Amino acid sequence: MEEIKKYEPFEVDQHITAQSRYYAGRMGSRFYIALRDQQKILGAKCPRCNKVLWPPRSTCGVCFSELTETVEIGPLGTVETFTVVTYNEPVQPRKAPFIYAVIKLDGADTGMAHFLDEVDFDEVHIGLRVRPVYARERNGNILDIQYFKPL
Amino acid sequence: MKRNVAIIGGGQTYHAARRHDVDQAEMVNEAVRRALDDAGTTIDEIDAILLGNMEFFEGVHMTDCWLVHGTGVYGKPGLKITTGGTVGATTVCAGAHHVASGLFDKVLCIGFEKQEEGDTGAILSGVAHPLWGRSLAGAALGYFAMMGSSYMANWGATEEHSAMVAVKARQNARKNPYAHLKLDITIEDALNSRMLSYPIRMLDMCPASNGACAVVLADEKTAKKRCKKPVWIRAMETAHNEQFELDWRFVDTKRLIFSKACAGRLYKKLGVTKPAEYFDVFEVYEPATWAELVWYEDLGLCGPGEGFRLIEKGMTNIDGPIPVNPSGGVLSTNCIGASAMLRIWEAALQIRGDAGGHQVPKDVRRAMTTAYGGTNWTVMTALSKTLND
Amino acid sequence: MVQKEQEWISIPMTVDVPFRFAAGQYLSKFMIEMRDNSKIYAVKCPQCGRVQLPPRIVCAECHVKNDEWVELSHEGTLVAFTIMYLPLTDPTTGKPHEPPFVYGSIRLDGSTSVLDHFVNVEPDMDKIWVGMRCRLVLRPQENRIGDLSDILYFDTLPGQVRPK
Ligand SMILES: [Zn+2]
Ligand SMILES: [Zn+2]
Repeated sequence: MEEIKKYEPFEVDQHITAQSRYYAGRMGSRFYIALRDQQKILGAKCPRCNKVLWPPRSTCGVCFSELTETVEIGPLGTVETFTVVTYNEPVQPRKAPFIYAVIKLDGADTGMAHFLDEVDFDEVHIGLRVRPVYARERNGNILDIQYFKPL
Repeated sequence: MKRNVAIIGGGQTYHAARRHDVDQAEMVNEAVRRALDDAGTTIDEIDAILLGNMEFFEGVHMTDCWLVHGTGVYGKPGLKITTGGTVGATTVCAGAHHVASGLFDKVLCIGFEKQEEGDTGAILSGVAHPLWGRSLAGAALGYFAMMGSSYMANWGATEEHSAMVAVKARQNARKNPYAHLKLDITIEDALNSRMLSYPIRMLDMCPASNGACAVVLADEKTAKKRCKKPVWIRAMETAHNEQFELDWRFVDTKRLIFSKACAGRLYKKLGVTKPAEYFDVFEVYEPATWAELVWYEDLGLCGPGEGFRLIEKGMTNIDGPIPVNPSGGVLSTNCIGASAMLRIWEAALQIRGDAGGHQVPKDVRRAMTTAYGGTNWTVMTALSKTLND
Repeated sequence: MVQKEQEWISIPMTVDVPFRFAAGQYLSKFMIEMRDNSKIYAVKCPQCGRVQLPPRIVCAECHVKNDEWVELSHEGTLVAFTIMYLPLTDPTTGKPHEPPFVYGSIRLDGSTSVLDHFVNVEPDMDKIWVGMRCRLVLRPQENRIGDLSDILYFDTLPGQVRPK
């Protein structure tokens, strides 16, 4: 079997392209329709945990209650944590440098990850109060909020 | 097994080509709540949760992690299982092993697929060897078409026999409120349906379904205390074939292929010599009609070359002596991650006498299920009404 | 709002995953011999004697190393076939195979394994049957790239009569 070594290692380049379409379901559709049509941000209320969850969902992950009630949250919120992204990756929706932040909207108990913009990198800090800037053309996805900016 | 394991409850969603009204977590949750209710238990009492689902079939990865609120696994041990068409059965087996070992007393097993959301064809092509099959990937359709042509050439069966299986499945599905293709069709309809890949026509093939199934497993002590109709898992077997070897599709192959090897081991474990008499009902995994005929032979329900005679004589009808797939089977409902679990859950319903419209009209004490996985492996289970059956 | 509740939001996504696959020692030899010398090689298991195609390092049944190379004939027998009426997309090129076309499983003389490939015959049930003798047709040498598509298809040998 030594003679097999005379064959160069063979490699092949391929790619697989897959299309998909994700359905937002009961709660997800309510959230995106309210955002798109009324520029309102909804959370789901768990009566048992007495918490308002974003993103809204039909089951409380913690206590397994079925959730049906939505409440309006925000639009103002507070930066809980953030990072300045300084490298580029094809999957990133923005060109570096840009800021990702987790924003706890007023009235919500969980944070929303989104962009911060119209802000100096030096000014960003935990506790910064922010508000959303809505996209002019809204299609029912999370980029209907373009980004958050300081008050 | 170290400890006996029972199915103490289960549930499924209805199955359809479109489920735009729910996201994946909401759909999974439907089955989970039904299973918990059926088992008379709550999520708090569940020790661990296993989720079976095909990777990226709905355009997402790691569904065990991000469907936590739907499955109820928050704060609990969990596992994700992906083994192709067998995934639902593998998930139940893995759950049963965890209970049998003594590690957990109650395990919730879930299988789901929301096929409409993803690109099953493209992702499936990734199953084929990049150099040795991908450029020719004929998907499951081509595999089962060749199984059919080999079957006809070797045994002298005709397209009518395939049509009989197609009709039996859809007529049974009409009695099952959860089934996807509830079609009132005749042999003529099947024979006149559009040719996809000779000898397979549209009605000879399974649909692409959305749906979920869940079952609750428990150890003997818990099951006897908590459940009026526990269904016992008496044996589980898995056998693989070599991916490169495609002769499993041909009835004249001389090798001991995975399906026969697996059934042989399962029968040996239980001391079964005449499976057609030993088991009262079968739920087999038949993505195409021909696969059901081959299962008859591989499971030893008849001799080689006699499978098509069974369907011809109506032996495997819902009211026949060897009922096979009274639920309508995979031919009527195929939500991949749930399909093999549905075989087990439907068999359990038959043993409990709770199958409703598609209950086989006899005392069902023992049932057997099979599953197919991607490049040729199988998972089989044997279920019984009592530990003495 | 009531009507709005009937609308179900969805979002499309396309994922394109590039990758580089290494054929390994055994398949490299197979692909290079086919590409450069028009030879089809299989390996024979020293224990069970199965002649395995494509060549692989271990016999999966015996768990022993396959170390005997066997050159196979370009002729073989059709074990099963299908006439495909759907335009199947070749995932490696993104282009569909135009239906209808015949696709079969061929056992090359001297091989235990079968090989699935196109059969260059009219998609007519009278002209194709299980048991037909076939011959492998390779792409012209200068165009070969070293994968299974270097086999263009199988031709059926002339002068065959359909058995009754
Ligand atoms: Zn809660
Ligand atoms: Zn061997």
